[in-house]
Amino acid sequence: MSAILILTPLVIGASWPAISAAAAGAAVALGLVVRSTAKEEIATAEEELAVKNSVEVEVKNSEVLQNVATEQQIVLKAQDGVEVRVKRDARGRCVVCASGQGKSKAELQAFAERFTERMTQCFVYNRVMTELKAKGFQVTSEERAQDETVNIRVRRWEG
Amino acid sequence: MPQRDVEISISRTGEVKVHIKGYKGKACTKIGAFLAGIVGKVKSEQLTSEYYEPEEKAAIHLEQKQGK
Repeated sequence: MSAILILTPLVIGASWPAISAAAAGAAVALGLVVRSTAKEEIATAEEELAVKNSVEVEVKNSEVLQNVATEQQIVLKAQDGVEVRVKRDARGRCVVCASGQGKSKAELQAFAERFTERMTQCFVYNRVMTELKAKGFQVTSEERAQDETVNIRVRRWEG
Repeated sequence: MPQRDVEISISRTGEVKVHIKGYKGKACTKIGAFLAGIVGKVKSEQLTSEYYEPEEKAAIHLEQKQGK
């Protein structure tokens, strides 16, 4: 053994494609489908939002690249009618907004937090795997535990 | 060739636990710093006994014979 580190994730300087990929990963895991990323659909979603309960959760330690427009967002739909939107707010932070008719604020808050956690996990996973493979590491095993932790083992032979 | 293993656990909240194996001495801090740079910031660090072992070095032993 050499060292054990505990690292806190930072979603700083994230590009929109990286955020989109993480949101798509979280959507698949939680059974959501991408409704649209187009601006006209988003305008419709904004109108619908006026008659629904909605909550907004900020992704911790996040800062999306400044060149991402605030209108840029991803709209996802769950089977029970809950809609999730991932966007960059005016301060540059990444936020997750959950809305749905017939859903309480507490239910939406719980769903938004769960989605945010899974999105952060997907973001970290994508980043770590990309960089380790670029460094020549090979994945020897990968599994998802019952508590949803992803355990990965990588190996490299050094000359 | 020495084998380098890294065990990574990504929790549901995105917190990452990294267990670096097979590195002796300060060589492990390089891969640790690399991973910290990818993920975010170091919350805690625990160095194990192997860290304090001497680093691996390739050595060539040269012997010069005295000429007549």
